[in-house]
Amino acid sequence: MALKAETPPAWQRGKVASWLVTTDHKRIGILYISTALVFFALAGLMALVFRLQLSQANADVLSPDRYNELITIHGTAMVFLVVVPLLAGFANYLVPLMIGAHDVAFPRLNALSYWLFALGGATLMLSFFAKGGAAQAGWTSYPPLSTQAPGNGQDLWILSLHILSAASLAGAINFIVTIHNMRARGMSWTRMPLFVWSILLYAWLLMAILPTLSAGLTLLLLDRGISIGPWDVQTNFFNPAEGGSPVLYQHAFWFFGHPEVYVIVLPAFGIISEVLPVFARKPVFGYKAIAFSTVAIGFFSMIVWAHHLFTVGLPIPLQAYFMIASMIIAVPTGMKIFNWLATLWRGNISFDTPMLYALGFLSIFVMGGLTGIYLAAFPIDWQVHDTYFVVAHFHYTLFGGAVFAIFAGIFYWWPKMFGRRLNEKLGKWQFWTLFVGFNLAFFPQHLVGLEGMPRRVYTYADESWEGYNLASTIGSYVMGFAFLFFIVNVVRTSRSGPRVGNDPWQADTLEWYTTSPPPPHNFDEVPYVTSARPLYDLRRKLRVERGAREPV
Amino acid sequence: MLAPIAVADNGGFTPVAPESPNAEGIRDSYVFVSIFVLAIFVLVQGLLIAFIVKYRRRKRPRFEDGAPIHGAARLELLWTAIPVVILFLIGAFVFIELPGIKNIPSAGASGQLEITVTGRQFYWQYEYPNGVIAIDTMRAPAGVPVRLEVTAPDSDVIHSWWIPALGGKIDAIPGTVNETWFEAENPGTYTGQCAELCGLEHANMLASVELMPEAEFAAWLEQRRREQGSGGGELGKETWEGVCAKCHGLAGEGGIGPRVAGSIVLADPDAIENLVRNGRRTMPAVGSGWRSEQVEALAKYLKENPPSGP
Repeated sequence: MALKAETPPAWQRGKVASWLVTTDHKRIGILYISTALVFFALAGLMALVFRLQLSQANADVLSPDRYNELITIHGTAMVFLVVVPLLAGFANYLVPLMIGAHDVAFPRLNALSYWLFALGGATLMLSFFAKGGAAQAGWTSYPPLSTQAPGNGQDLWILSLHILSAASLAGAINFIVTIHNMRARGMSWTRMPLFVWSILLYAWLLMAILPTLSAGLTLLLLDRGISIGPWDVQTNFFNPAEGGSPVLYQHAFWFFGHPEVYVIVLPAFGIISEVLPVFARKPVFGYKAIAFSTVAIGFFSMIVWAHHLFTVGLPIPLQAYFMIASMIIAVPTGMKIFNWLATLWRGNISFDTPMLYALGFLSIFVMGGLTGIYLAAFPIDWQVHDTYFVVAHFHYTLFGGAVFAIFAGIFYWWPKMFGRRLNEKLGKWQFWTLFVGFNLAFFPQHLVGLEGMPRRVYTYADESWEGYNLASTIGSYVMGFAFLFFIVNVVRTSRSGPRVGNDPWQADTLEWYTTSPPPPHNFDEVPYVTSARPLYDLRRKLRVERGAREPV
Repeated sequence: MLAPIAVADNGGFTPVAPESPNAEGIRDSYVFVSIFVLAIFVLVQGLLIAFIVKYRRRKRPRFEDGAPIHGAARLELLWTAIPVVILFLIGAFVFIELPGIKNIPSAGASGQLEITVTGRQFYWQYEYPNGVIAIDTMRAPAGVPVRLEVTAPDSDVIHSWWIPALGGKIDAIPGTVNETWFEAENPGTYTGQCAELCGLEHANMLASVELMPEAEFAAWLEQRRREQGSGGGELGKETWEGVCAKCHGLAGEGGIGPRVAGSIVLADPDAIENLVRNGRRTMPAVGSGWRSEQVEALAKYLKENPPSGP
């Protein structure tokens, strides 16, 4: 590949300007991650406000409309503005480095993807100032509630998701083309890092499911009515009075929405598959099984959506099918869990912060996976559907799963991104407060859900639910506190963190072959890849060349 | 079947104590799944802790290699096959329990009662076969299978009917009629609430089932029919409390809706009818489709008991 060493014009060379015009995948990755962390703080603060409202029965902190706005934007933001973009940020930063490429296939498209994401995020957050406030129909926005909602909040919600979908699609195309075409010499499919496998599936899944979401959202927008020039268009796709079906939207939403869960959790799995072996000083146990199970989960995730619709009155044979299909996903997921456990077996385990997060992930994610079995068994779902049991379940998978993995990734790759290490002591404090706070916040929600508390209620009168809710609220504040450690850590490290070498963890994948931080073109030369652990092979070769006895 | 294992509520570790065979079937399925869930939970967390303790670095050099194990096909096959077996068992148990959960028992000597349940912003309206209307509190006979036809008006939004002790939930969807049932032996009041976000007062869309001995129920139903025919009785009060007061306050003092105490509309039956049937600005048409008896009962109640505000 011919690299043009053009000098950018003077106005693009400034400290700020160079970031605004960048097409470097590493800078775009950092932009993604930092922007998403800002949204994380905002959406987290929203949760702290509505947890205060729920801490006691009949509390008076929030009015019902403010409460509904906050839960809607909290949920939408956490999925679309926080977890997915954080992982997209890692993918941006890491995929070219891990496969030994100089950049992604389409660097400008990549920049467009980021700026669309920033625009979509701003649209959602600013919708609080729209006429009638932000959307209030929940992050799922089922019609007719969402089609009847007055004001413009719901319209901006739709617009924002459309923009974010375009951003994700641009990113997905980029990752697919990059991974298929730009791998280093010798890096066959079975020598590709597991994180890259997970991003490949993430990207293919997004390509497959985003069009359905876009279609559903467009119909929702048309049902709400729009004006195109002199024409007022108002359709009735979801309006039963005119022969439409509100349940149709639920199918469209969840055909996207369920695989979206795996769009989130597969890259999280990928991070875990990279971190565990490095800190256990072993190859990952069953590389092929983990790669295969990633593909299997990706495939099955697209044929299980209606387990979110068990209470709409689907025919029993259909519910039975969706139960069986959903349960099948547990098999490849279980494979991964046991393969990760076996990776620890007979290892030489160090407990640096990235590893603590990876182990915390394992412990919490298992819980989230297991409660999924209750939800897949449709008669049990009739009882627990739309209660706090479900809220607990998906926070165990999406927060305990994804966010813990993301922090494992942040602490693991920080030295590569910035050439300095985050403070270990603060990192460990953050981990333990977060782990305790998380379980205190979300475990009691399983119980109060089984006791009959539905989700999305702004208040409750039953005082026997108070204890669980108070525990949840305290837990959520402990979690909020944990993030303060992270902020302090980042501020302190950026000034005075210890500089580290190119490969502080003695890791196995190609991103550690280049300098920390890497130069704009990533690599001066890329070694021929001889296995899934190219750096391990190199270290070994070096030792042999230096005449040391080859380790057994 | 598994009843002796699962005692009462257990503080939320099992679903609410069941009072109807369908809720019981669900609870049994829940307990059956829990056996495997607990076993796997203990196994995984146990292995995790054991490996962390046993294979921690101790005094070994930081970067010394662990055992060079890349995998073990047999072991991996084992932890693929065992979950398949467990999931098969769970699936089988669910299908064995399913008929008892889904199918309404055949009616005994006293037959079967059918009630139409309509979910609306933000109240439950029940209609009995003899035309009796009730709101939020459903009366039903003990020991008789009760079939519920659950729906919502075309102009409304989706709600979900749920009384945890009496079975799973079923959505009330505009334009669709869904079905569920219960049959409970013990008289008493069982509570639940709407389980699908339906708007501002979703949290206050409570429901309860008051189960009474059969004879008492029959007497209640007959009395309500007679009262309703003569334009009065409890229906007006239930309508005010269930339909109007959730937004305007029990004494009309205002809530998320404006204060109505002292309003001239409340003294004018035609104005009331126009308001509830058509709504106004952000107020939904809460009474669209009501029979005239219900509007009259509300007007009569408000005339006799004008809300006075605090």
